[in-house]
Amino acid sequence: MRLATIAWRGLLARPLRTALAIVGIALGVAVVTATIITGSSSEQALRSATADLLGRADLRLRAFDDAGFRPRTIQALRALPNVEAVAPVSERRLTVSTTPGDNERVFTLLVMGIDPEADALVRDPRLDSGVPLSADSPTDVLAPASWVSRNGLELGDQLLLAGRREGMPPLRIIGLMADTGLAARENGDLLILSRTTLDESFGVPAPIRYLDLDLGDEPDEAAIERVTATLDEPFVVETEADAAAPLASAQEGFVGVALLFGLVSLVLGAFLVGNTMAMTVGERTRELGLLRAAGTTSRQVLGIVLRQAAALGVLGSALGIVAGIVLAAGMIGFLSSTRAVLVVGLPLPIGGLLVAFALGLGVTLVGALVPAMRAARLSPLEALRPSRRTDRGLLDRLRPLIVAELVVVAAAMLLVAVSGIRTPILPVLLSLGLLIGGAVAAAFVLEPLSRITGRPFERFFGAQGRLGRANLSRDRVRTGLTVGAMMIALAAVVALGTVAESARAGTERRVASILPGGHAIRVGLPLDAETFRPTFEATVGVEVASPVLDVPVVRVTDGDQEEAALAGIDPNVFDDENALIISGAPRADAYAALRAGGAVFVPESLARRVGIAVGDVMGLALPGGEIHELAVAGLVEFSLPARTADGALLVSTADARDLFGVTAASLWIMVPQADVPSSVFAAAVRETAVQLAAEPLTARDLAVELSRSLDRLIGLFDALALIAVVIGALGIVNTLGVGIGERVREIAILRSHGMTVGQVQAMVVAEAAMMGAIAGVLAIVTGLLVAFMLVNGGASAELAAGLRLPWPLLVAVLLVGTGVAALAGLYPARVAASLPIVRNLKHFE
Amino acid sequence: MAVILEARDLVKRYPLGEAEVDALRGVSLAVEQGEFVAIMGASGSGKSTMLHLLGGLDLPTSGEVVIDGISISALDEEHRTLTRRAKTGFVFQFFNLIPLLSVGENVALPFLIAGDPASRHRERIAELLALVGLVDKADHRPDQLSAGEQQRVALARALATKPAILLADEPTGNLDYTTGTEILDLLWDSADRLGQTIILVTHDARAAAYADRVLVVRDGEIRDEIALGRRKDHEARPLIRRLAELGL
Repeated sequence: MRLATIAWRGLLARPLRTALAIVGIALGVAVVTATIITGSSSEQALRSATADLLGRADLRLRAFDDAGFRPRTIQALRALPNVEAVAPVSERRLTVSTTPGDNERVFTLLVMGIDPEADALVRDPRLDSGVPLSADSPTDVLAPASWVSRNGLELGDQLLLAGRREGMPPLRIIGLMADTGLAARENGDLLILSRTTLDESFGVPAPIRYLDLDLGDEPDEAAIERVTATLDEPFVVETEADAAAPLASAQEGFVGVALLFGLVSLVLGAFLVGNTMAMTVGERTRELGLLRAAGTTSRQVLGIVLRQAAALGVLGSALGIVAGIVLAAGMIGFLSSTRAVLVVGLPLPIGGLLVAFALGLGVTLVGALVPAMRAARLSPLEALRPSRRTDRGLLDRLRPLIVAELVVVAAAMLLVAVSGIRTPILPVLLSLGLLIGGAVAAAFVLEPLSRITGRPFERFFGAQGRLGRANLSRDRVRTGLTVGAMMIALAAVVALGTVAESARAGTERRVASILPGGHAIRVGLPLDAETFRPTFEATVGVEVASPVLDVPVVRVTDGDQEEAALAGIDPNVFDDENALIISGAPRADAYAALRAGGAVFVPESLARRVGIAVGDVMGLALPGGEIHELAVAGLVEFSLPARTADGALLVSTADARDLFGVTAASLWIMVPQADVPSSVFAAAVRETAVQLAAEPLTARDLAVELSRSLDRLIGLFDALALIAVVIGALGIVNTLGVGIGERVREIAILRSHGMTVGQVQAMVVAEAAMMGAIAGVLAIVTGLLVAFMLVNGGASAELAAGLRLPWPLLVAVLLVGTGVAALAGLYPARVAASLPIVRNLKHFE
Repeated sequence: MAVILEARDLVKRYPLGEAEVDALRGVSLAVEQGEFVAIMGASGSGKSTMLHLLGGLDLPTSGEVVIDGISISALDEEHRTLTRRAKTGFVFQFFNLIPLLSVGENVALPFLIAGDPASRHRERIAELLALVGLVDKADHRPDQLSAGEQQRVALARALATKPAILLADEPTGNLDYTTGTEILDLLWDSADRLGQTIILVTHDARAAAYADRVLVVRDGEIRDEIALGRRKDHEARPLIRRLAELGL
């Protein structure tokens, strides 16, 4: 017999425990595998979306201002040599509804107009089903397949454009687009129809926002110059990277967080393996002592335990890869249907799968290292002693390590809080450190915490609760690690929920700060402020209807120009409604400067990026126009959304009109009279919006819309966290199983003294539930600390407002932790209750 | 005196591979209230099996056990447990204390199990600790006690609810002579002073000599019954002589 045989037999002797450890590792590897596959799918989708978006176009031109490109420019471009195709894309944001009736649904979408024939020369339509647009089908429309299925529509359904000219027939969905290409934009909330139809539907043609040009094989600089020289309108040349940038940011965040979850799950799996191996070593101490006495070397004992771990790791990782592929299919299906993140297909990156396998095997071996070394260090004499060796020594050895780790984490947290360091990797690393350190430290706080959290259980379960609580401190390392593993999973849920809640709070704060009065109307095409003011002011219950005069400009610095967006606001309306969060100058002074003219409010992100401070002078101009020097009167935490990522530079309406000649507004701030209820005013605003074929906005709806993508992702991450909770629950089954095996005689004595089967079950379930409750309490503390670090260390403006506690989630985590643990305790409870009394009374270790 | 425990034609058969082994072959006995009965026999004679059946820890293959008028063999698991809780107390060879509970808590265990707060039984627990001489060690953990002290705690626990019958399975089997004697003195004292009915299983004639009556078990049957009567001196010689006459 070889030593390896002893290792295999050791695993087979405890099939349930071995199976639980394998499942734990498998689940951890499954989450890592699924995140790798989903990340790969997302990257592939991004590449494909970008490639499809530009198609065969060599050059993409974006109109600088809202008027867009003129039709005659297109004609001129098409006449140029080397220009093989020019595909214009016009855009309007419109309200679209299904056929009127009980099931009528209303959407606000980006409606894009294309020239079907010209567009086909530049890019492939990429349809999941149906047919592409053709030049002679004015009522046809293409919709993204995910949008159609999400909203319960199907091929052939009719859609109506709100505010269309009388006599315009309804549109019919004739093709369902894949999520790539043009459909990748706006999270898939868009429609594509013929540009002619879009123009004819309304009195004013939709502005042509993009021109995609095919310049033939290998276009040279001269060809590109010929094109740009033809343009009279201001334009921006967009590269593939520019086009992909809005899509890429969401993907990056998703892949990062998903991978974090995968790693958390793997760490949990490692805890489970470590615990399993520690139990096996503890149980087989005498056997290992015999082997040592018979001449087996320390190295050979180490080999036996590590062989066992390797077998668990290989099996668990292999199973995990298969489970991960299935999980990835589910995740991709979810992301695809909700369109939270762009994904395509189910790629199986061999390198990624190998990494997942290696990680699974690696963490299993790392998890088994401490028990393996303990086994190797056993002296034959010590191992053969009749009394069971306790883990107190291990606990004492671990203590300085844990204290050191937690001190480092605490110091780093303080550093993040005090210095305001904004590096995304630091909080993530600190979070992982805190989670792992906290999990290991659970063994030290187990006893005092169990005294507090155990109280309600003792009241509820009586003697069984008291005994269950006492059992928790029987083997503090084992129970502590089990509680710690469960804590990590629950802490991930707490941290994620708190960050999401804080982001929601930030979004609400942001929306409230840029939308005075909480209501607005957004029109597809800017409306002249003076002509349309009476229409807006006719809204029932309106106190003020204030246009935001927006215009694209360039920021001039030392002869250099950078694209910027300017919005003219009424300082009185914004000041009276306490809008905009201003820094760098007293609020009153800042608004006074804006009212006086020649002043500008600058978004904080832009100010930080380019080093602008209050009191500086900023040069702004229309393209090719006179440069106006404006004094920076204040920095705003959030500004009105604009084409540029920073948001708009804010000036007074008077300056916008007088200096930059803007007279039209696409956003109208609607401030209600003080005594008008919000719902009544919202209905009145909606009515005005319908009249103008425009979109009514409320602060609440806008906040919900901005948080929607986040909420979808949170749902997915919560599902991943649930897998981690399941792994934690497996650990509880494992630990309780071993605990029961160790105290069969004790249970028999309790039974002999009249403890009923139900009471034994209740005792074990109470023990499990207490483990869950302690894990829940620790998870809330650790999760909030992690959230604090992520919020304070993160770069997102939404999180700048700080933490907002998701109270219902915190209560839910406590209840879920307790409930899941209690469920995990059911099987060991049944085992304990079915132990024969007489046989176990004679049991002696 | 009224009969507190009665066994009628108890048979216990265990499967052993494809065959069956008869551990008890039709045992009948009756124990009166306040009586101290010892069951003696060699290893494997069936004496422990008999104790387990009498205490309701196990079920006979056939026959009946009646404790204080209740036929426990006819009860389901739940009711048998509740009857055991109410009517019996056990002391085992290996002390069997709950290591995580203090001495006082171990003594109060039967109350805890019955869902009766120990605080309502402070006096009773103090009385029991005084009986076994461990008042000053009420807060100690079992691993801080000597073997004899642990067995005294087990005895106090068994007496906590004033059970109808105390069943002791080799309670001195793991103790030295002096400590064993202390335990036997305590058992006798509780029978004599408190009127506690006791059934003691032992292979030790010195322990059995504390009893009023000794039942000699061999091959799953009661082969003889030796009446010793209640005696303060616990002299073992008459019993040893009688056992020798029986060839034991």
